[in-house]
Amino acid sequence: MVTEETLLEPDRARVARQLPERAASVAVRVRGLVKRYADGTEANRGIDLDVQRGELISILGPNGAGKTTFLRQISTELRPSGGSIEIFGLNAVAAPQRVKQIMGITPQEAGVFESLTVREHFELFARLKNLSKAAARAATRKVISALGLVAETGKRVGSLSGGQRRRILIGLALLGRPPLLVLDEPTTGLDPSSRLAVWGVIRRAVTDGATVILSTHYMEEAERLSDRIGIIDHGRLVAVGTLDELLGRLERSYRLSYHDQLDPFGKLCVHYFASFNEARAHVADAELSEYSIARASLEDVYFTLTGERFERGDTESA
Amino acid sequence: MRRLTDIVCVFRIQLMSMRAEAGPFFLAALVFPAAMYLFANAVGGVEAAQNQSRLRFLAGSIVFSLSLTSISWLGYLLLENRFTGRLKLFATLPLAPSSYILGFLGFAFVQAALGTTVLLLIGRVLGVVMEPSIAALTLVIMLTVLCLCGFGVIIAARARSFTEGSLLTDALGAGLVFLAPVYYTPETMPQSMRTVSQFLPTAFAARAVRTTLSGGHQIGSDALALAVMAIVTLALGFKLTKWRED
Repeated sequence: MVTEETLLEPDRARVARQLPERAASVAVRVRGLVKRYADGTEANRGIDLDVQRGELISILGPNGAGKTTFLRQISTELRPSGGSIEIFGLNAVAAPQRVKQIMGITPQEAGVFESLTVREHFELFARLKNLSKAAARAATRKVISALGLVAETGKRVGSLSGGQRRRILIGLALLGRPPLLVLDEPTTGLDPSSRLAVWGVIRRAVTDGATVILSTHYMEEAERLSDRIGIIDHGRLVAVGTLDELLGRLERSYRLSYHDQLDPFGKLCVHYFASFNEARAHVADAELSEYSIARASLEDVYFTLTGERFERGDTESA
Repeated sequence: MRRLTDIVCVFRIQLMSMRAEAGPFFLAALVFPAAMYLFANAVGGVEAAQNQSRLRFLAGSIVFSLSLTSISWLGYLLLENRFTGRLKLFATLPLAPSSYILGFLGFAFVQAALGTTVLLLIGRVLGVVMEPSIAALTLVIMLTVLCLCGFGVIIAARARSFTEGSLLTDALGAGLVFLAPVYYTPETMPQSMRTVSQFLPTAFAARAVRTTLSGGHQIGSDALALAVMAIVTLALGFKLTKWRED
């Protein structure tokens, strides 16, 4: 529990204080996680994952792949049909309330209290997170400042833009500096500058000792933020590793892309090759005049594993 | 101590939300019930001139106010939280679902106290002679609020959509008043409805409020019935309100 006396403690030490005694070095341990709905749909089909303390892991996957289901089970919002989840050694399935004391959660779709001012919203939720009045006020000031909402402090939440409300939801998760953050598509709907600000806040939380699991629709977000990236497809974790490890899984790591010369505004053709020379040879054979050859990216790994491409809007850079 | 803080925080969040929603509250808690009192007086004919009838109308309006604020209005707020994703926000916290409901009950008590006090003052201004037994009246109001809130909590937890839920809470909030002998005597009701209507919580509440307004204390059986109904509805409401989906 954060108290007034701990307000001046170094962040890393404060995060550590909130952990159970003899907390495991693995922050999150998931084994054989299954979610089967009443209609027979299997959203998760046996996911195993270890997340180390202080690690930031991003979960990527096509729509309906099971990312949100996975995160909702970790955040205790959804009861698993099978398997186990341990958060810092605590059984998250059996003791959800206990586990939520050491977690900050941003759900994908959550509402805010429009009649409250930004400050009131943060302070009341900080109190609900068991912070003392003084600590709640201090935490509110810090989070508002970190998320660039200082000018909005006294404004009613209902008068804010969608992006600002999304930042409030992220800020609510950060209150009290929980050792684990579970963020479901935290930057969806944010403009590029707000997204950059949120990335900074998330990275700072990791620097301060927090462990972060987030799902995202943005390749760039996963590439720039994550220590490791997991890719979920059809309810299975089909790959997990650092960016380099994932790129290393590609046998053909050169990407040739071009438009059909007879249909320059048509669909983009993409081919993969084991070497640059092999790609050049294909260009010569096909007599291409306009083309691009590049090293494979996370998007290519994603495509290879899931068979689906990110839509242009999804890869919009910040 | 922790639990109390949680309950107070939920209560404060709802109270602060009232700043933007005071209009609907005053309509439900004061304007409609006060108008119903005047209406009942106007159509009551010769009988309305008797103080006994005026006490009945005033007690009926107090119960009407409680029903609208505890079922319709509170149910609406609970449904709004659930279907706009605010409930998810509470579910992310180490907050027990029961603390969430208790915070709402505290809010309902404040609304009930405000509504009842103003209606009593209006009754006094309009010349209703009464000797309210404050302690007994407070007990009856609290039991009525608990019982009626239970219905609101159950509907808010079970409704499949916001529209369905708000229709149900509105219908129940008004229906429980007009189908029970609240503004009129049981004898004036159709025979087929008479027996059932006397077992509605609003019937017990109206009788008990009437008794306490005329200075009586014989509310034992009505208070007991309301207490049993409150335990049943709230127990079901607590059971149905969950943070975790299956």
